[in-house]
Amino acid sequence: MITIRALTKRFGAATAVDDLTVDIGPGQVTGFLGPNGAGKSTTMRMVLGLDRPTAGQALVNGRPYRQLRYPLHEVGALLDATGVHPARSGRAHLLAMARSNGIPARRVDEVLDLVGLDERAAGKPGRALSLGMGQRLGIAGALLGDPPVLLLDEPVNGLDPDGVRWIRRFTRGLADEGRTVLISSHLMSEMQQTADRVVVLGRGRLVADAPLADLIAARPASSVRVRGPEPAGLATLGARLAADGAAVSPDEGGLTVTGVTAGRVGDLAYELGVRLHELTPVAASLEEAFLELTAGSVEYAAGPTGGETR
Amino acid sequence: MTAVPTVTPTRPASRPAPTSGPFTGAVAAEWTKLWSVRSTWWTLLAAVVTMAAAAGQLAIYAVNANTDDDPTVNPGIVDVGEIVAGALELTQYVVLALGLFAITSEYATGTIRTTLRCTPSRGRVLAAKAAVVGAVTFLTGLLIGAVGAAVARPVLGEWGRAPLGGTVADVVASAAYLALLSVLALGLAAALRGAVLTLTVLFALLMIVPLSLQEPGITVLTRIADAFPGVAGNHFLAGDTEPYPAAVGLLVLAGWAVAALALGRWALRRRDA
Repeated sequence: MITIRALTKRFGAATAVDDLTVDIGPGQVTGFLGPNGAGKSTTMRMVLGLDRPTAGQALVNGRPYRQLRYPLHEVGALLDATGVHPARSGRAHLLAMARSNGIPARRVDEVLDLVGLDERAAGKPGRALSLGMGQRLGIAGALLGDPPVLLLDEPVNGLDPDGVRWIRRFTRGLADEGRTVLISSHLMSEMQQTADRVVVLGRGRLVADAPLADLIAARPASSVRVRGPEPAGLATLGARLAADGAAVSPDEGGLTVTGVTAGRVGDLAYELGVRLHELTPVAASLEEAFLELTAGSVEYAAGPTGGETR
Repeated sequence: MTAVPTVTPTRPASRPAPTSGPFTGAVAAEWTKLWSVRSTWWTLLAAVVTMAAAAGQLAIYAVNANTDDDPTVNPGIVDVGEIVAGALELTQYVVLALGLFAITSEYATGTIRTTLRCTPSRGRVLAAKAAVVGAVTFLTGLLIGAVGAAVARPVLGEWGRAPLGGTVADVVASAAYLALLSVLALGLAAALRGAVLTLTVLFALLMIVPLSLQEPGITVLTRIADAFPGVAGNHFLAGDTEPYPAAVGLLVLAGWAVAALALGRWALRRRDA
């Protein structure tokens, strides 16, 4: 259980996390979503006692992280940087972590086994680890104390498709065991595969906190792509659709129409005698739902000219 | 009655209890980290080599001063312990690197975040590091003190002496000096984070500032210099009685080490990792 209350973090004039209040409960995978710079990592770092909140608090199992005596038994975490010394072997890294929390050395072998790192990989120094191996090592570290709460910051970053599938199955399994699992990502599509619930941040503020199914249901309407060889005819069709209340946007060699079905567009084209080469319904992805949610809250969006930020 | 919040209802049953206390664990972790990087071994080797070279050189100087024609500089028979203490002036920087890197390397490589996640109490982390750094540099001090004495004795020949009790006492004193200095370096590094900045400040504290204060020969300034860690340490090593007893020199140095740790703890608590 992670309890976040009015959590705020400012770096100078910039507000990274802005009055965030949210609970992350056990037994499910909670996706922590937001564009880059939305404050996800900063929030996680405050939960882990690494960054000091400017205001508010973040509690793990009811207590601030900095007060935990054996934190690895309560919270496991994978941060974007796995934090392995370049000259230290993965095994020694885990062993030092284990010893700090009174965890027996054999548990190191267990977690290495769990994440699928063999003896040779675990013996490599930090600098020789691939991104994928580093992520696995990080997860091994998170599991050392068999904690009821797990925080994984962008765990699929840099993983190959096999690794991505592995993470999905793995985190699902952890949640099914009744643990609290919080996974951050800037990719909605990723969460679509893993999360039961999503918490969306935009510019440090809570944008959405809902079961994934609700978010899918609320996604924007599907659109229809229309193409044809007669620009004049398409323009007529477009005007007619717009008059019917559909949103029409011309694009290269055709139109994209929202608010009507493909069937209705086809009927109208027939009626107006406009030749069509393509009539395709396009389902809005969850990605778009997410973009819609966070629109206006993106920290670094390219301006209309592409050069400006914000 | 108000509802009591339920905490960790879903604790996996198989979870074993911690086998050691949090401080013992933190010390064990620091120990593991120190010996699992090769640079520690290289630092030790460098300390031994530097000590051997410096002690050999100082011994040659002592012999030359006794045998050349200038009667004004004639140190006479020299204790090897004196040579060892003199050789520390250079060697100390190699040894205190152990204290320095115990924290600056964590910031440079990002492992500090792992360390603080494992041991969130900043005071406990720093105390554990101080315990490991202090113990290791003390033992290193004994080792290189013995090496320095072993190198200096034959070079000094008829101009040297190595009374067992006195030499052992000198070597132990050097070890204590190095341990306190390394803990001072650790605390300072925790406050300053960067290796270069910390080393610069250490140079200033140990040499530049006190030497500048002593240079004009003004009593007040010299007394102020006596309060600096390096000068206090040298009074302790030389067994001086002026301006204060040798033991006070040790206490002054220890005071600096404790103050540096307190500063480091304060900085670690305040700062985002």
